[in-house]
Amino acid sequence: MVVVKRKELTLAERLYLPEILRGLSITFRKMFAPRVTRQYPEEPLPKNEVTRGQPRLVVKDDGNIACVSCGLCEAACPAYAITIDGQETERFIEREPQRFDIDMLRCILCGFCEEACPKDAIFMSDELELADYTRKGLIYDIEKLKRPASALKRRIDYVHKINRRWPTSSST
Amino acid sequence: MTKIILNGREIEADPKQPLIAAIHADETPVPHYCYHPGLSPVGSCRICQVEVKQGEMPARVVVACRTPVAAGMVVNTESEGAHKARKECLEFLLKNHPLDCPICDKAGECTLQDYSFDEGQGVGRSVEPRRKLEKRKSLGDVILLDQERCILCSRCVRFFEEVPKSPQLVVSQRGAHSVIETFMDRPLTGNYQGNIADLCPVGALTLKEFRFEARVWNLKKSASTCAECSRGCAITTEVLRGKSVERFRPRYDAAKNGYWMCDTGRFAWGHANSEERLAGSAVRASGGGWQAVDTADAIESVRDLGALRADAVVIASPFLTVEEGRELLELCSALGAKPSFVSPPANDLKDDLLHTGDPCPNRRGLTDLGFEAATAEELCERLAQAPAALLVGERVGELLGDGLAELSDAKRLVALECHLLDIPAADICIGVPNHVERTGTWINIDGIEGKIGPARQAPSGVWRTTRVLSELCAAVGAGARQPLAKGDAR
Repeated sequence: MVVVKRKELTLAERLYLPEILRGLSITFRKMFAPRVTRQYPEEPLPKNEVTRGQPRLVVKDDGNIACVSCGLCEAACPAYAITIDGQETERFIEREPQRFDIDMLRCILCGFCEEACPKDAIFMSDELELADYTRKGLIYDIEKLKRPASALKRRIDYVHKINRRWPTSSST
Repeated sequence: MTKIILNGREIEADPKQPLIAAIHADETPVPHYCYHPGLSPVGSCRICQVEVKQGEMPARVVVACRTPVAAGMVVNTESEGAHKARKECLEFLLKNHPLDCPICDKAGECTLQDYSFDEGQGVGRSVEPRRKLEKRKSLGDVILLDQERCILCSRCVRFFEEVPKSPQLVVSQRGAHSVIETFMDRPLTGNYQGNIADLCPVGALTLKEFRFEARVWNLKKSASTCAECSRGCAITTEVLRGKSVERFRPRYDAAKNGYWMCDTGRFAWGHANSEERLAGSAVRASGGGWQAVDTADAIESVRDLGALRADAVVIASPFLTVEEGRELLELCSALGAKPSFVSPPANDLKDDLLHTGDPCPNRRGLTDLGFEAATAEELCERLAQAPAALLVGERVGELLGDGLAELSDAKRLVALECHLLDIPAADICIGVPNHVERTGTWINIDGIEGKIGPARQAPSGVWRTTRVLSELCAAVGAGARQPLAKGDAR
């Protein structure tokens, strides 16, 4: 049988007060230190060009989206969130999406679609909030995905910048 | 057979064939655009260059499609010289080829794309602008030509000259101005135009029907047999997202269709894609309307109806497979009835190449089993006199025609159909899978078997035809039979 002998307390320990003061000193010190927690959602999260929010379709200056429904984002999507059907258009690009649905509940914000897009049509926005009363409402169609190029400019510039580091011929 | 040495190994080669055929027979990859095993070789694209050493001559780079096999040839497909020659050739082919891949319907099954990915350089060195030509040139009802994408391999030109033997396309102009054209921009004619879209190694010739319908990597492909005539061409059924059939394409079968198929069969997905499918079974409600029921319940009602009797007329669809035919014969022998199948009249699509003009894909199989071929008029007359009838197989109602609608209400008629047979005489409709949803065998006019394969699933309430027939067979006169499990879908 092992007998553990209790440690003899020192006088300061027996007095109790010095330990209380030591603890309170930490409390007061932290009271005036800069805060690291945020009052989300009242206080929005910091967002910069590296933020990968939900994917959005860029609307060009002529009012059309740049997408030609090539299906590469659909093929690249690891979560099978994207569904595209193409249709003929009279414009020079020949094809445009008839349907471009992203199931935001499936989307894992990985950014593969942005990377796969040969037409600079889809970019990760800084929009992160997602709420609705139905699942169906969270399957976004073209109208819900459209964003003017100005709203995504920071991300577009950033993607172009990092793409320049690995030059390829597909710069059109 | 001759012996040649390919990449250091000795292989057998047919001296009557071009070298590329021997290389491909050995499953060694060599790219090729203008060469096609079903057409004469011309050597216009130059991409199949390989290094050949023969006798005392130094090794030289030749096009494999225009070099005959000779004894003692030493062929190297991977030598530095061969790679360099092919790479340079590819650069020239891509010189004027637009960067259309995101829009092009061929992307994903384009050999130019594949080979550029394997060996291309990624960056174009050319500073001159690309050729600007017509991008949406209509060549008749079937084909759309994009002249910019064309690499002038002339497969389509040779196809019309050699296969249907009706030359319609030409390479007009010379040198860098060459384009594929029809004479005076006349539309293409004939029943074999669709083949040139398959032949085209790039996306220059595309099907209007398939234009922008789907990306090819999203299509699930399965081997099957064409349902349009008694030739039974081997085909591939391509289905998008498990729902709609987007394409039928020919599959090589030396005994039946070679590399080709006719446009009638190629675009014959209308029935298979029809929205008004019978997703389960339906019985006539007391008010005269239709009530959807489980197939198990429908079979129960067939027994209660008393339609299974010796004087019932049993009519099969010409689309019935041999397996289903056998099952139906079992049922007929249990009933004591004599089976026959609807034989629609020959159509005027018969030609010397493939189409037989006979719209029954399994005529031979059903006749060999003992089914009697009868016209729709004959069968309708028989139906009018019989007290009960059993119609089995897809489109049987459609093929029997208007005569069905005139049958009296008092008749006990059971139909195993893909679509609801909405005629006054019909009492029970049991849904069955159509020919893109089931497996089986059809026997073509020459007695060659062709398997039909399921390209997609039938609606969950639909049972296999063979199963419905065997359950009906068990129901004949069997009063003490165990009832079927209701939750059992198939």
